[in-house]
Amino acid sequence: MSDLDKAIAQLRACRTIPEAQVRELCHKARELLIEEGNVVTVTAPVTICGDIHGQFHDLMELFRVGGDVPDTNYLFMGDFVDRGFYSLESFLLLLCLKVRYPDRMTLIRGNHESRQITTVYGFYDECLRKYGSANVWRYCCEVFDYLALGAIVLGASSSLQPSRQPKTQSDSGSTQEYIDPDIEIEVLNAEGGYINSFPRTRSNNAAQSSPKGSPPTKTGPPGSGASGWSTGTPGNPGGAVLCVHGGLSPLIDTVDKIRLLDRKQEVPHEGAMCDLLWSDPDEIDGWGLSPRGAGFLFGSDIVKVFNHANDLSLIARAHQLVMEGFKEMFDNTIVTVWSAPNYCYRCGNVAAILELGEDGSGEGIMSRSNGDVGRSDGGVMKEKERVLLSGPARRYRVFQAAPQDSRGMPAKQPVADYFL
Amino acid sequence: MSSSQIPNLLSSRGGPRLRGRGRGRGGPSTLSASSRRDQNVQSTDTDAAVSRLSAVSLGYLDDPFAQYFVHGNGIRRLPIINRGTYTRTTALDTLINSFLSSSDPISNQPSRQIISLGAGTDTRYFRLRDQNRHHNLVYHEFDFPAVCAAKKQIVEANRPILGGDEGIFPNGPNGGVPDGDSNPEPEWGLLRSVDGETQERYICHPLDLRRLPSLESLSSFRGLRSDLPTLVISECCLCYLDIDIATDVVKWFGGRIPELGIVIYEPIGVDDPFGQMMVENLAARGIFMPTIQRYRSLSDQRARLAALEFQERNGAGGGSDAATIEDIWEQWVPAEEKERLNSLEGLDEVEEWQMLARHYAVAWGWKGGAALLKPPQTSREEQ
Repeated sequence: MSDLDKAIAQLRACRTIPEAQVRELCHKARELLIEEGNVVTVTAPVTICGDIHGQFHDLMELFRVGGDVPDTNYLFMGDFVDRGFYSLESFLLLLCLKVRYPDRMTLIRGNHESRQITTVYGFYDECLRKYGSANVWRYCCEVFDYLALGAIVLGASSSLQPSRQPKTQSDSGSTQEYIDPDIEIEVLNAEGGYINSFPRTRSNNAAQSSPKGSPPTKTGPPGSGASGWSTGTPGNPGGAVLCVHGGLSPLIDTVDKIRLLDRKQEVPHEGAMCDLLWSDPDEIDGWGLSPRGAGFLFGSDIVKVFNHANDLSLIARAHQLVMEGFKEMFDNTIVTVWSAPNYCYRCGNVAAILELGEDGSGEGIMSRSNGDVGRSDGGVMKEKERVLLSGPARRYRVFQAAPQDSRGMPAKQPVADYFL
Repeated sequence: MSSSQIPNLLSSRGGPRLRGRGRGRGGPSTLSASSRRDQNVQSTDTDAAVSRLSAVSLGYLDDPFAQYFVHGNGIRRLPIINRGTYTRTTALDTLINSFLSSSDPISNQPSRQIISLGAGTDTRYFRLRDQNRHHNLVYHEFDFPAVCAAKKQIVEANRPILGGDEGIFPNGPNGGVPDGDSNPEPEWGLLRSVDGETQERYICHPLDLRRLPSLESLSSFRGLRSDLPTLVISECCLCYLDIDIATDVVKWFGGRIPELGIVIYEPIGVDDPFGQMMVENLAARGIFMPTIQRYRSLSDQRARLAALEFQERNGAGGGSDAATIEDIWEQWVPAEEKERLNSLEGLDEVEEWQMLARHYAVAWGWKGGAALLKPPQTSREEQ
């Protein structure tokens, strides 16, 4: 067993690894990440995950539900650290897996992967507590500076494939027998059981099936946050999926402009790089000021124009707590994926991961690369001219917080603060 | 509440986690279930004191007295907790200031009375004195005997600052109400010279509030007056009592003091996942809040106060209202103050803040006279 495999085994048991080994790991990770562009290209199948925030036991639950590395190809959209009790173990494990299986693990940067934020929200203190010095925090922050800012998923299938079943103590051996090819969105529980699904609408004009002013209203069972908009996106030739932690920036109108940023630095307080990690979609027109004090709010018009100009069918992002684990907005053009169940051991929310299947038909959404067909001069399209690309088939797996004590790991749980 | 439902106290103190029932002999576990529960309630005061110091250290609040009530250097709380501590304190300050400013602040003779229930290590009296708002005020605090005694020790040990130019009593006979066991704590407080006469203006009453309803009259308590417009404050106190007792405590004051106002601050909203998790998490610390199951929303809190007769009656003025901490942050805190606070720390966790702040309510009411409590003018919509 290599040192790296030993480190993985140790971290999987929620035990930290020696400082010297962290240093070496971070060095290797940097060498790997420096070769990645600001926007990593990832090929489906891929499982997209949102914020983790040091909730190590829940990360283990995520791997149980989503499949282990390297069997499953993962893309984590940042915010690995802060808030939870096990930021170190969570981030170092993900980093080990990245170094061990570079092609099966994509990590992009969240706004918490920053020196300033980690000193306020817990990761710095955790490093001091667990290592007695800030060295490990420093090594990790140097890795943060090299993390990609986004990813583009290509080759995702427009129809669902049979799903794998999570490991259970008593495997019932159940498999899905039949998948309706018209299903665009499927929601499964942690054990692979069916919760909900939504068919794709066959229409060539998005405007017909997506009347303005009808945002999702229904909130169904856990994970059915998309159910208010259940008609799915129209069946058009597919497009790619952009993954980014926060959202869009008024300074970025094409994916290529992300590629031109100099990312190898602390997250700035403003500018395009800051916005990508801090912004949020909101029910507004155009751009708005963010209550977070960094980044912007952006409305559905911004997303639709951006997706059109860049041949995207969907933006996947994290950054915002959503109680149902995921939330699709703006006629399914953007989705928030949140992967920290019972966030901060206090919020009572469920978590979700998003699976995009591999397109086996050869006619899927690889057909165009993003932004190269003379549309990037767009940005001012009239509604009627806008044709939205169809989204890939999406399978959400919704899961709850890992039962403490049940996995032979340390059960220490931080006390959630209340006002008493 | 059966004893098996009370978790081992050690588990909330970071000690070894003992699973199962009835194990863990010695130490705190030999305490009876009810006294353990009382200790857990008292521990919430430490929690509040640490949060207060965190908010003060970072510049949210100005309170030079907070540091004396926390052992060591304190802990830095997360930004949402600091903002919540600020908002809760500011909400009560606002209401209390409106109560005090409805009187003649120049007079040295008592014209206002405040009764703070479960005050613990609260520094409000010292702050009011520091701001010269105490001249016409009599200030009472009620808390467990152990808490009162500890507060007295802290005041004595830091006398130049906490005592100000006031003297500490008692020096003389024991005037306290015994707490039913063999260890009665005397009432204590601060006195000052007013127009050549010594007056007791800050008085701590050691009392398990559950005993209050069985006591006869205000004269059981040193310096408690019925003839002054009075404000009762419960900053997370009544919520720990059984619902009937909490009701009786308010009625006890209401039946004896004609012109009465009340401010209640406590959690609400157990009907959603956040609220359920809050109840669960607090139960794991041995903290139970019976009132949260009854008063689940702002309208429940308003109805509660109306039922306690904080409403217009027989021509006498009265009324009640309630707001969440989120409402108060949004609508009572001026924009420029928000800007100042936002510059102290980044607050990234917007959704979590909203969720947390929605689960705390400030309810206020008055009766028997002119409006004692006036919240800032806002455009709040009824919920």
